[in-house]
Amino acid sequence: MKDFGVEPMNQRVLFFLVFLCCGLFTQVSAAQVAVIANPGVKASEVSSADLRDVFTGGSSSFKDGSHVTPVLLKAGPVNDEFLTRYVGKSDAAFRVGWRSLLFSGQGVMPRSFDSEAALIEYVAHTPGAVGYVSKSSPHEGVKVLSVR
Amino acid sequence: MIKRLVIAAAVVMATASFAPAQEVDDLNIQVHGYVTQGFVYTTHNNWNTTDSTDGSPAWSEAVVNVSAQPDPRLHIAVQGRYFLLGTLTNQITLDWAQFDYKRNDYFGVRAGKVKTPMGIFNETQDIDPAQLWILLPQSIYPLASRNSDLSIYGGVAYGSVRMGGHMGKLQYRAFGGERVLASNDGYFQNLRDAGLTVPNGISGKTGGGSARWETPVRGLMVGASERSGRLNGAIMAGPDSGTIKLSQYRQTWYFAKYEKDRLSLTAEASRVQVKVDLDLTGLPPSFFLIDDHAFYVMGSWRITSKLSGGLYFGSTVDHKADYGDARYAKDWALAARYDFNSFLYAKVEQHWIDGTDIAFYAVNNDNIQPNTKMTLLKMGVSF
Repeated sequence: MKDFGVEPMNQRVLFFLVFLCCGLFTQVSAAQVAVIANPGVKASEVSSADLRDVFTGGSSSFKDGSHVTPVLLKAGPVNDEFLTRYVGKSDAAFRVGWRSLLFSGQGVMPRSFDSEAALIEYVAHTPGAVGYVSKSSPHEGVKVLSVR
Repeated sequence: MIKRLVIAAAVVMATASFAPAQEVDDLNIQVHGYVTQGFVYTTHNNWNTTDSTDGSPAWSEAVVNVSAQPDPRLHIAVQGRYFLLGTLTNQITLDWAQFDYKRNDYFGVRAGKVKTPMGIFNETQDIDPAQLWILLPQSIYPLASRNSDLSIYGGVAYGSVRMGGHMGKLQYRAFGGERVLASNDGYFQNLRDAGLTVPNGISGKTGGGSARWETPVRGLMVGASERSGRLNGAIMAGPDSGTIKLSQYRQTWYFAKYEKDRLSLTAEASRVQVKVDLDLTGLPPSFFLIDDHAFYVMGSWRITSKLSGGLYFGSTVDHKADYGDARYAKDWALAARYDFNSFLYAKVEQHWIDGTDIAFYAVNNDNIQPNTKMTLLKMGVSF
């Protein structure tokens, strides 16, 4: 390997930075989020304001009157991307908000799923359920909502 | 006590009654809770019946919440709390226990022992994991008296309406029922200092409402609340007994909150007016008036996803009290919170307090000083 005049210690730092950048790009490319709903939900598109209201417990319906129940992924880049883009909160701040509703008797913590497959399965069979998955995940049995 | 047990039992039995008909998973039964441990140090006066001038860890809480949702519109839950604060309280109480039926976004009802929807923070003032602050502004949310403000035995009707023409959303809540101030409530500490006790607490009918308008300006909410009612009970002064009656009770709030990205700004003003009548055997009836004017302004900033900081100033003045340090309290607070992960957090807070109207009592202060600096630490875990 050609020596570019970089000290071994600095080489390790360089490799780490390159690795970190690759990781970041991988994360961004993987975090293409699709908002999905049970096929019984009337709406086929939803505003980001409606989505934020539903996922922060402020509302239990979309503007067109569809009664909906939010479901979550427990963690991961898709979860983080959804919360940042559509709810405007970090995962920690989002959960703090729900704990506030839970412990004051104003809401029940949404169901959370370890995997996208389990979430899709639940949404497909639960009237009113709305969730989010990676666009690349197969999502048969659910409808994809476009977000305005 | 019996009433609390009956309500809790009714909620638990109602939850159980759904079990044979549905799978447990379908009931969405959830158990959550949190535990906190605080530490308080003050430079002069002992705070809230603790030995805080020596540094006191006598400030602990543990909360368990059990809920079930047999139907998307029906929510049944009960929450219990262990609360230790100095010598004021060291007991397990029923926070609330309720049935909640939400017909749609426009209308829902809660019944049982329910949280009282007043002001910005009243329903959430005791939920430490939900707050940046260790202490919310004591001018409006006094820690030692929060139990009697937090909940009532009765019901709440609530809902929200989208205003047309991009005018935002209006939330409403109306409540009514019985309010109970337990015998060890902080509101009675000054009476205890004067040799008076309220052995069974006091109670009475109460009612009110709250409205919040989420304005067309994204992130800006404004609102108002009002509560009124009467309270009465027995009072003792050594061997003498009598009655205590709170009449012409009225409390109003006006508030506003603005959130944008990492910034949150809040302001709230409140006024409490009460006439307190004391009638002790062998003594002529007497009364005194309370007219507290309180407000605070606060700002907070989410520095990183794990670290937040904030600053507030709160003030309260009893316009019917004698002139002196006990007539008012002014409090500057600087706070920070760090979330280690989604469950574990730590907080630190520094207060500069002028005046002694709140939280400084004769029971553990020989000579109350007009100014106190207070340092608070708290750790919590929630699940």
